Amino acid sequence: MNNPRDLIRFNVGGKIFQTTSTTLANAGRSSFFGALFDDNWNLNSNSDDPIFIDRNPDCFGVLLDLLRTGELCIPPHLPEKLLFREAYFYGLSDHVRCARWGPFDGNRLRLTSSVSGRAPGDGTAIRAGPDGGCCVAHGCIVHVYDWTLEDHPPLQLDYQIVNDVGWLDSHNVVVSACERLGRGDCGMGLFNAVDGELRHRFHVLHDSQVKSFTAGALGFDSNQHKIFASCKGRSNEYGIGVWDQMTGHQLDFFYEPLGWSLGDADRLQWLPGSNCLLVATLFPRKDHCYISLLDFRAPKSMVWAWSDAHVGGMMEDQKRVRDAIAMEETSSMCVVNEFEDLGFMDLRSSGATSIRWSSRSRLIMKGKHDKMAEDEPCYPKLGFHNGQLFSSMNDSISVFSGPEWVLTSRLRCAYGGPICDFSIGGGRLFALHSEENVFDVWEAPPCALALKATQPERGICLIVGAEKQ
Amino acid sequence: MSSQKKKTFQIEAFKHRVVVDPKYADKTWKILEHAIHEIYNHNASGLSFEELYRNAYNMVLHKYGEKLYSGLVTTMTAHLKEISKSIEAAQGGSFLEELNRKWTDHNKALQMIRDILMYMDRTFVPSTHKTPVYELGLNLWRDNVIHSSNIQTRLLNTLLELILRERTGEVINRGLTRNIIKMLMDLGSSVYQEDFEKPFLEVSANFFRVESQQFIECCDCGDYLKKAERRLNEEIERVSHYLDSNSEVKITNVVEREMIANHMLRLVHMENSGLVNMLLDDKYEDLGRMYSLFRRVINGLSTIRDVMTSHIREAGKELVTDPEIVKDPVEFVQRLLDEKDKYDKIITLAFNNDKTFQNALNSSFEYFINLNPRSPEYISLFVDDKLRKGLKGVSEEDVEVVLDKVMMLFRFLQEKDVFEKYYKQHLAKRLLSGKTVSDDAERSLIVKLKTECGYQFTSKLEGMFTDMKTSQDTVQGFYAGHGHELMDAPTLVVQVLTTGSWPTQPSMPCNLPAELSALCEKFRSYYLGTHTGRRLSWQTNMGTADIKATFGKGQKHELNVSTYQMCVLMLFNNADRLTYKEIEQATEIPAPELKRCLQSLACVKGKNVLRKEPMSKDIAENDAFLFNDKFTSKFYKVKIGTVVAQKESEPEKQETRQRVEEDRKPQIEAAIVRIMKSRRVLDHNNVVAEVTKQLQSRFLPNPVEIKKRIESLIEREFLERDSADRKLYRYLA
Repeated sequence: MNNPRDLIRFNVGGKIFQTTSTTLANAGRSSFFGALFDDNWNLNSNSDDPIFIDRNPDCFGVLLDLLRTGELCIPPHLPEKLLFREAYFYGLSDHVRCARWGPFDGNRLRLTSSVSGRAPGDGTAIRAGPDGGCCVAHGCIVHVYDWTLEDHPPLQLDYQIVNDVGWLDSHNVVVSACERLGRGDCGMGLFNAVDGELRHRFHVLHDSQVKSFTAGALGFDSNQHKIFASCKGRSNEYGIGVWDQMTGHQLDFFYEPLGWSLGDADRLQWLPGSNCLLVATLFPRKDHCYISLLDFRAPKSMVWAWSDAHVGGMMEDQKRVRDAIAMEETSSMCVVNEFEDLGFMDLRSSGATSIRWSSRSRLIMKGKHDKMAEDEPCYPKLGFHNGQLFSSMNDSISVFSGPEWVLTSRLRCAYGGPICDFSIGGGRLFALHSEENVFDVWEAPPCALALKATQPERGICLIVGAEKQ
Repeated sequence: MSSQKKKTFQIEAFKHRVVVDPKYADKTWKILEHAIHEIYNHNASGLSFEELYRNAYNMVLHKYGEKLYSGLVTTMTAHLKEISKSIEAAQGGSFLEELNRKWTDHNKALQMIRDILMYMDRTFVPSTHKTPVYELGLNLWRDNVIHSSNIQTRLLNTLLELILRERTGEVINRGLTRNIIKMLMDLGSSVYQEDFEKPFLEVSANFFRVESQQFIECCDCGDYLKKAERRLNEEIERVSHYLDSNSEVKITNVVEREMIANHMLRLVHMENSGLVNMLLDDKYEDLGRMYSLFRRVINGLSTIRDVMTSHIREAGKELVTDPEIVKDPVEFVQRLLDEKDKYDKIITLAFNNDKTFQNALNSSFEYFINLNPRSPEYISLFVDDKLRKGLKGVSEEDVEVVLDKVMMLFRFLQEKDVFEKYYKQHLAKRLLSGKTVSDDAERSLIVKLKTECGYQFTSKLEGMFTDMKTSQDTVQGFYAGHGHELMDAPTLVVQVLTTGSWPTQPSMPCNLPAELSALCEKFRSYYLGTHTGRRLSWQTNMGTADIKATFGKGQKHELNVSTYQMCVLMLFNNADRLTYKEIEQATEIPAPELKRCLQSLACVKGKNVLRKEPMSKDIAENDAFLFNDKFTSKFYKVKIGTVVAQKESEPEKQETRQRVEEDRKPQIEAAIVRIMKSRRVLDHNNVVAEVTKQLQSRFLPNPVEIKKRIESLIEREFLERDSADRKLYRYLA
């Protein structure tokens, strides 16, 4: 502070601010301040006039404080949106985002906001983007929200029913939809997430002929830049299509073998470690469940498979698999049934594997379950992130941690009805409710200090201790 | 349905874009375009960053991003075209300088433009998949300047010429060159590779091809290698100064290929200066250079190694078959050791202690040492020589060094059992004649043999040492008990040798003089009294005696003689003249031994205590011997050696050989039985292979001999042939 040259004065929209170049250096070179003080711009630092910036002074103050302390304190009178816009102007949006929420941990999540949508009917899917944004598919429309939860122009593919959505990167979203009857149009498109513009349509070729098809679940291999989708063609061409993210051209097609299901799959998951694609077709889309791992390297093969088709007639209390997710860290597959029982299978043995059901999660749910059963059912969904397993059931999401998958937390929001889908990414968990068309955003607080200062306004965060059975 | 209940819809106002002024975009762009001009014209001091940034921000915000971006491309392209013209106009040497200056300017301008358009870079560019401003600036520079037809080839030729000039010894502006090369790298690795590296490597290959041809015509191998090494280092240095570090491998590959790989064989076999000459002359420096250069190319080291191996084998073969050297065992082994030292030193100093070279050296030695069947004997003789006298006055460490070297040669021997046989003989002689210089050295060698070949190999040798010690105690005990009775009798020293441990010849007893035989009888009864159940037989052929003799003029001498000689001399106490026949009858010494012993008593000048009639060298049946009264010597003690061949004579050699073969038989049989016992059924070839493997550490068994042993074992019903497959043997428990 003794060095007067370190002092910097700004005149922001008529208000004088005084700070140091050390504080401004926290903004980084790729910000407005980084460029402003670059030697190229021989800024007249000797002159007594403060540097004029034609922007909002209140926001500037908050952002300057962020640079000073690394914490974000937004005064109640200041709209967040305004602040975000200013942050964008200065190139400080990454700073703001980092100050908003900390590294993702399923056991530290708090509900930060609930956004209500406009679309009628049930939600289909919600997908977290890499930058903290998300997209929500309702019927034939996909709404895209950036990390400030500002909505962008919605996406639609010929206004056909959307089956799945997914983020290629922070600017591009892939939408899969039903084929448009009577037209040769295909069911998959790549959209600009910012302006909603359709950038590319994906085609499926069978015998070098473009066929129209319905695209179902989507999967992405970000290392080899591939897109996978389950496809149902017009002439019974069922299977998994593969496209290149860069060129948009079809690379491959894995035809559905007889007596198996690929084209109707509910979930695709790319496993980078084993170079395989998980394809799961689940009850009730089909009468039976078919879960398989596909290896697309020549010769294309199904390297792991499980199905309950051989079990035969329905038993009274049969546990039907409603969702499946592969966890490469433990070389295992996690499945869930309609009672939210978790089951596990070993991915290393390629032979006939059976599910090890663990029903320790049932006890807590029992009472609630009966009440909710009257409502429209929402099938359980699974998620896996950073060694933690998530499973949604009715209006809550359970978090399981540790090698034994102990139930460690339960996220619940009373408003909006059962959760029909959830997604984790960009440091956030998004949960989509089926009834009220509302989605919740759950974040981990940035640090211990901030946790004390702000309490979740709505919703209850139940922390359940480890239970021994 | 439920949503309507709980929430009332708010009708939001239609958000329309507020376009302030239809010409707003054009006006704003004009400001920015002007700024870009000013930046390129070094006139940026009057510009306000805040204002320009805000303008660019507004353009993007109001959806004029496309206009801003395309405007930037047009403006920058126009500037670069002008820049390109001014570079083209630069004459001669100022070309690179102008290019460098303009590049620096463009870079600075580009940074400033990027700063202004930062908001566009952050939002508009990624969402429209456009090239970011900085990369765009580099691409435009590449397309409009570097790839302009008047610059591209000129730039390449200028750079190549600079490098050529530097190679021919001129000093060039390295800083400038580095900047230009750096620019090419900044434009992307493909630009550097296509526009510079590829042609550079081609031109370099040509250059080195021509130069190496010149060198090889006029230089000897050593000089050539020096020049190649210098070129290699120059290129590595060049890369470190002004090229991309990834080019180092590529350009050194070119030098290696053109200067080394293509001339490898010619260099190695160069007349009068090639590898063999370097080895002969111990040119460590040249050899080291050859090693470090050749290791860089495929098959380089194996070429050196092969030539070295065949040279060592040739030289070694010559050595072990040289009739002059073979005459003297000590010289023979010393030459082998010298040869080994020489190459060890070469490998240490020049070949980086390369393991593969050490192995090649060892296998070469193994090859030629075994070419001479007498190598085991000679090595044992060498040890014998060293342990008898050679190690006197030598420190313990040096003894160890010599012994270690001998052990190294021993390792190369295939017939280790032959060595053992000879070693036993030589050791026995040393021990019995008390000639061994250092007990420690003897034991140290035995320990070495033990670690090398195992307990079995040395157990008998160790037994010999034990016998020596026990005998000492026995004789002491004998004299302690009987000393008073034996005051006048001659002193008897007996070494009791365990049968089997010692290399005994069939005992050929002789008649001892009466006073001695009585003494011997006393000892026998003493010994058998303390050790019951044993049998003593006298090995008179191995003993020695000190006798006092008085010659004419009262000259007294102490004569150190063998037991046989003593028996003969004692006869002359009672007679002055005896014929050969009489001596033979009296002593009953076997004829060849007696002849040898008489020869040494009568025919050696200066030691002739007897006279022979007639005076000839050879002993005949009818010769007569007389006491030589006129014997004189300056010394009081006179040692009368036996005429004994140090090296084995031909028949002896045959005999040793035969004994070795005999000893091998039970070993081979034992091995066969061991193998068959564990394998139960095995075919012939495998038996031979396994037996050879098991016995390798001792000797290389002859397959024919193995077959014979198998036959013998079948006869004795240890094994049987399989009834179906005659090649298969079965073990019979």
